[in-house]
Amino acid sequence: MNKKKNSPPLMETPVSCGFPSPAEQYIESPLDLNDLLVKRPAATFFVRAAGDSMLGAGIRPGDILVVDRSATPLDGSIVIACVDGEFTVKYLRRDDAGFRLEPANRKYRTIAFPEGRELRIFGVVTACIHQFAARKAKK
Amino acid sequence: MIGLVDGNNFYVSCERIFDLSLEGKPVAVLSNNDGCVISRSNEFKALKIPMGTPYFQLRNRKDLIMRSSNYELYGDISRRMIQVLAEFVPEVEQYSIDEAFIHPELPDSADFLKFGETIRAAVLQWVGVPCGIGFAPSKTLAKIANHIGKKQPSGVFVMPPDPLPVLEKLPLSEIWGVGHRLAPKLEAAGFHNARQLAEADPVYIQKKFSVITARTVLELRGQPVIEREDPEELSQSITCSRSFGHPVIDLNDLHEAVASYTARAAVKLRQEKQCAAGVNIYLQYYPEYEPVRLPGGFTGTTVMFGSPTADTSAMLTAIAPKLPGIFMEGRRYKKAGVIFFGLEPEAVQTDLFQDAGKRERSQNLSAALDRINRVYGRGTLRHLSEGLAQPWKMNRSMQAPRYTTSWDDLLQVK
Repeated sequence: MNKKKNSPPLMETPVSCGFPSPAEQYIESPLDLNDLLVKRPAATFFVRAAGDSMLGAGIRPGDILVVDRSATPLDGSIVIACVDGEFTVKYLRRDDAGFRLEPANRKYRTIAFPEGRELRIFGVVTACIHQFAARKAKK
Repeated sequence: MIGLVDGNNFYVSCERIFDLSLEGKPVAVLSNNDGCVISRSNEFKALKIPMGTPYFQLRNRKDLIMRSSNYELYGDISRRMIQVLAEFVPEVEQYSIDEAFIHPELPDSADFLKFGETIRAAVLQWVGVPCGIGFAPSKTLAKIANHIGKKQPSGVFVMPPDPLPVLEKLPLSEIWGVGHRLAPKLEAAGFHNARQLAEADPVYIQKKFSVITARTVLELRGQPVIEREDPEELSQSITCSRSFGHPVIDLNDLHEAVASYTARAAVKLRQEKQCAAGVNIYLQYYPEYEPVRLPGGFTGTTVMFGSPTADTSAMLTAIAPKLPGIFMEGRRYKKAGVIFFGLEPEAVQTDLFQDAGKRERSQNLSAALDRINRVYGRGTLRHLSEGLAQPWKMNRSMQAPRYTTSWDDLLQVK
C-alpha cells in the first residue's frame, strides 16, 4: 500500500557550511493519500459503486469506495453488505427490531433484518473517492 | 511455542471473498493454462474428485464451478494474511503462499487456543479467508497440530505436552519431511506410525536414513531443531528469506538482497524442473522511535512474470520496476523474502509466441550458471538484469477479475 514517494523529500534548511541543525533530521515526506485514507492496509479493499441508491450520502455511480474490513460496523455506518447473493452499499441501522440496511435515495427500499435473518457485512466504507474526470470503467 | 497458520482451500477461498455465487458450491481453481485442478472447495472434495484431475475430464460437468488461476489475487491476499499475522506476533516466517510459521512472544503457559482463535477471527474478518492454526513446541509438530486444527470447529489445535497419543494415530507419510518416497523405507525398517518414529533412536535413524530424518525424530519429540529461516530446505514450496546482518536503509541494497534471494530460489525451481507464474516479495521493517513513533511491520508486492518461467533474468526484469513502489524512505529494513507461486512442471510450459530456440538458450544459460555456481561456489556468476520476456497471454478463459490489483477490475457494489 505504501506508494513510492515520487518527489524527493524536502530539506528545510538551506545548504550551508558548519554544523547541521538538529531540526534538519525531520525530513518532510510528501503527503501520501494512503496515510489519509487507509488505516490498516491489510484489511482495506477498494470497490466501485455501481448504483445510485446512496446518492444522498454523496456516493455516485463510478465512485471508488475505501472499505475497511477491520472497522467495527456501528449504527449509522455506511457498509458493504451481502444481500441475496449481491454486494450492496447502504447505511447500517440498528434498533430494538434488529438491523436494517437503509438507502440514501427514496427510489429504494430499506431492507430489514429481523432476528433470525442473517446479515453479512463485507466491511465498513470509510471514504468515497469521486474523480471529476473519472477514467472509464472497463465494460 | 511455534504456530503454523494455513489458509483453507486457499485459492478457492480467495475467489470466494469477492464472488458470493461460489458459496456452498463445488468450486475448483485450475492450474496455469486451465490444465488441472489445484484447489478445491469442501463441496468439491466431497464429490471425490482428486487434486490434479485434468480439466478436460470435467469440462462437461454442469454441477461444478471452475475458475482459471488468478495469481495476482492470490498473491495479494497472501500478502494481506501475512500482514495481519504480523500484528499479533513479532516474527512471521512465510513458508508458502498460504502457510506461515508464527513465533508468538508468549509464555508456554499462555492460552494458545484462545490466542489462535483471535488470530483466526482477525484473518477471516479483515482479509476474508478461513484458516487453520496449530501450535506446538517444534515446526514438525506444529504442522501436525495444524492438520488437526483444520478439522476442529474452532480451526485451532494446541499439541498437548505429551504428543505421543496424537502421533500414534498419524501415518508416516503425513509427517512433514517424510513424504511418499521415505515412508515405505521407514515401514520396511519397522516404523508404522509417527509415535514409533518419535521413539526411535536418532543415532540409528541418522546412520540408516539421513540427518534430516534424525532431525524429524527430535522434532516429533518436541525439540525444535529446524532452524528459523530454513524451512525452504524441506518444503515443496520455493521460497528464500533472510534476516539482514544489520538494518538496511538503502533501496539499492534492498534490491540486491531481493535479487540474490530470487536467484537462489530460482536455482531450486530449476533443480525441480518447475516454472513459476509469479513471486511475492516481502520486506519487514523495524519500528522507529525518533523523531516520531512508527510501528514496524511488513510490506510487500506481487509480481507476475510475463509467462511462467524459471529464468532468473526474466524474473529480475519483472521485479526491478516494482521494488521502488514498496520501498519507504527513512525506514530500517530487517528482513526480505521471496515466495514463488503458480508452480508448474517445466514440460507443460507452452508458449506460442516465444520461439523455442530462445527458450532453450535461456534454459541452457540458466543451467550453465547453476553448474558454474555449483563448482565455484554460489554467486560466482550473477545476472545483470537483462533480456525481456515476451509478453504472452496465458489461457485463462474462466478467470475472475483481479479485484485487488487492477483499478479496472474492482468489485462492483450496488
